[in-house]
Amino acid sequence: MVLSYIRNKYATTVDLEDGSLLIRATLEDSFFAATVEMEVKVPDLEIASIKGEISRAFNKECQEAIPLLQRVVGLLIGSGVNRAISDLVGGSEGCPRLADLVLECIDEVILRFTLPNIRDTQSIDWEKGAEGVKEMLRKNPSMLGSCIAFAKDSPLLQWVELEK
Amino acid sequence: MSTLTFARNKIVGIECPDENTFLAHGILEDYVYALELDVEVKLPDFKITSVHGIWKRYTTPECPKAIAKLQNAVGLHITEKEFARKIRRIVGKEGCTHFANLLLECCDGIMQLAAYGEWKELEERKVTPQRDAYLKEKFESVPGLRDSCMVYSRMGK
Repeated sequence: MVLSYIRNKYATTVDLEDGSLLIRATLEDSFFAATVEMEVKVPDLEIASIKGEISRAFNKECQEAIPLLQRVVGLLIGSGVNRAISDLVGGSEGCPRLADLVLECIDEVILRFTLPNIRDTQSIDWEKGAEGVKEMLRKNPSMLGSCIAFAKDSPLLQWVELEK
Repeated sequence: MSTLTFARNKIVGIECPDENTFLAHGILEDYVYALELDVEVKLPDFKITSVHGIWKRYTTPECPKAIAKLQNAVGLHITEKEFARKIRRIVGKEGCTHFANLLLECCDGIMQLAAYGEWKELEERKVTPQRDAYLKEKFESVPGLRDSCMVYSRMGK
């Protein structure tokens, strides 16, 4: 059997010399191809600039969505940013495919800053590693309750006193 | 030299073993996680009939428990309102956000194929239908397509 459809989506993050981040997200599938590139200021995580290109689409009118990207300039990457991007770029009056690529860039930024802390956890003895888990949650408080591993009843948190 | 500080790759391939079945295979690989998914969706109601996932690389001894939470998606219709939000909660927050992410990637691919796959087949047979007529038919048969974006909202009015 041959494939009826294929999709490749890849995203990369590079630290620039001035300390800001350059993130690119590209989607290429059987029917659509687009790239979004954004710069994010560090440490305030403000979206400083963005550009995008739709190189292949079913409808030529899809190009009209490109200017919508400028609506996210100035947003701070933090609580509520995903909803704001979906509202500003996606939805029935926007382009959900471009919004999705912007959201992919946001994920990249978050994971880029989470990665060093996850590297640190590789030395944690999870069976008795309350201090290591505490330190990880202190650096990444949003992980608490974000998945089954960091649910409040998770065995990983059994020795961790959760502060309100 | 600038080096990457993070990168993620996702690949989704979809087969159609019969005219009512989509089989998606997804792979996610990034600096931290590696995982794979198989998702089956059946027409006419775009229902998820099976999901299977495997971990290739994860971070905590609790992560494998997220595999069982994939079954929360079975029985859902990928065209239903708030589908993505629901998956992020019952597969992501209750399980693993990376599995939820890849599952949504697979389901979005299935929706793309449902909307445009027939056009590709027609092109391959050297038949070029009128775009507007093609879309009008798809607006009727693919739930949610009509209002899915600025272009289709305008065309669907």
